[in-house]
Amino acid sequence: MSKSRPAASAGAASNSNNPLTILSALPARYLQTTPSRTKLIDAFLLFLIFTGAIQFLYCVLAGNYPFNAFLAGFTATVGQFVLTVSLRIQSNPENKSEFKAVSPERAFADYVFGSVLLHFFCINFIN
Amino acid sequence: MIFRAIFFSLLWTVSQVTAKSLTGSRLLVALEDADIKESYSKFFGDLESRGYTVDIQSPKNDKLSLFQHGERAYDHVIIFPPKAKAYGPALTPQKLVEFTSKDGNILLLTSPFGTPEQARELARELDIDLPPRDFLAVDHFNYDTVSASEKHDVILVQRPPPSKSAQNYFSGKEGDVIAFRGTGHTLGNRPLLFPVLPAARTAYTYDTKEDFAYAEEPWSAGTQMHYVTAVQLRNNARVVVSGSAEMFSNEFFDMEVQAPNGQATKTANQEFAKEITQWAFQESGVVKVIAVRHYLSNQTDAPINPNVYRVKNDITYEIELSEWATDKWIPFTVPPNDSLQLEYTMLDPYYRLPLLPSTITEDSTVYSTSFKAPDQHGIFAFRVNYKRPFVTYVDEKYTVTLRHFAHDEYTRSWDISAAWVWIAGIAVTIAGWVVFCMLWLYSAPTETSVKKTQ
Repeated sequence: MSKSRPAASAGAASNSNNPLTILSALPARYLQTTPSRTKLIDAFLLFLIFTGAIQFLYCVLAGNYPFNAFLAGFTATVGQFVLTVSLRIQSNPENKSEFKAVSPERAFADYVFGSVLLHFFCINFIN
Repeated sequence: MIFRAIFFSLLWTVSQVTAKSLTGSRLLVALEDADIKESYSKFFGDLESRGYTVDIQSPKNDKLSLFQHGERAYDHVIIFPPKAKAYGPALTPQKLVEFTSKDGNILLLTSPFGTPEQARELARELDIDLPPRDFLAVDHFNYDTVSASEKHDVILVQRPPPSKSAQNYFSGKEGDVIAFRGTGHTLGNRPLLFPVLPAARTAYTYDTKEDFAYAEEPWSAGTQMHYVTAVQLRNNARVVVSGSAEMFSNEFFDMEVQAPNGQATKTANQEFAKEITQWAFQESGVVKVIAVRHYLSNQTDAPINPNVYRVKNDITYEIELSEWATDKWIPFTVPPNDSLQLEYTMLDPYYRLPLLPSTITEDSTVYSTSFKAPDQHGIFAFRVNYKRPFVTYVDEKYTVTLRHFAHDEYTRSWDISAAWVWIAGIAVTIAGWVVFCMLWLYSAPTETSVKKTQ
């Protein structure tokens, strides 16, 4: 558990590298090592997946009329998901080396701007 | 538009003269032999009584001209077969064609022994093939036993039967017989040609110079041969070609005829001459469009003829048609088996709809139809393209824009209950996002602490 991630993914034949052990350790390790903001993002992503699934299921079951409403509703959720994933990548401390120019504040500001734009277009499109 | 302009000019000329023709009363009769004039006195008398100023001139006359100062000097021309081999310089085919292109009407009378090459050339311009000189039409089954018991060259022609799909200006009464002595001609495929008197199946045209008791090789035979043919050119000028001039003579007007197995009857030549000149000189079969109206069907105070419609609008189209009946305008009636149609076109017709009479006034019929505009925006045209034998060509085209729905003309999403789930989807997403943003901002210190721990 205290081992570093590269070692865990190396997949050596030791006891701690057993896939089942890794799997069972995953939640605890996630809770322990993930920054709280990333956890918040993950919670929001789960919520979005849930919302999107409901909308898609409704479309499959009840038909796609009015289609523009379905597109607007579903893309609002999917687009929000994509934007949030982007925010997760940019704000993750482990990716800091890749986004040197993008501070977490800047990432969040971009995210808010993109989201507001998305909401505007979706509300406009659903008419 | 051109059509309308023509009609305004027609109306103007009508107010100038008293003739019953819509295009004017100046009638030139090109007749070389003054003696013949007497034998056609009834024909000319008929024309004069209908208000024409009949000007009988020899085609050889040097001063004769169809035009003066670049305009028509005459409104109508009757050309009799000349004695000589040509009409003279004033009546060349080129000048006659120019005359028709200036809306002049021509009645071309030919005869087996006096048809000059110029007449043949003019007929060829119209896609009518006149036979060579000395060719005569005979019918050994429908001839007059009184006047032509030997030669069978006075042919008794039945009037064309009344048709349900065309105007019947030449049908006459039942049992009417027209005596005819002349040649037949054949027609090309031109759609502007309207046969008036087609030959019977037993008739044929042969060369009288051939010395046989029977014709070895008839020039033309049966129903492909025609005695009288009308042409209405694209500018609605009219030309009638008759294979016989004699059929309009006093002799034929007063003739008592008897078919081989029939009773003696008086010929209907005089009525036929009247009808054919009425048609040729724009007294009958003249149709005008009084008005075209289109508007939104389900609005009481909708503007007439707007320039813009929206897709899926309910549109009503009306066209008001009048027909000139020798002395007054009457409601125009479409024959029962024919159909006046409206085309709603953008390159191709999206709709082709029958126009039905909705109102009949004293002098016009209003034909109308209603339809829903197609779900396709663009530049559309209302077009009525009604080109039928013996009536003025009607081709009315009005262009309108068909626009798409404006953004606020679609049904609002909340008016459609099926959309509520997706409206809720957007609302929940936005609400979730707002909550997320707030939590994110509140969680900032924790993040710094995380950073610090790293």
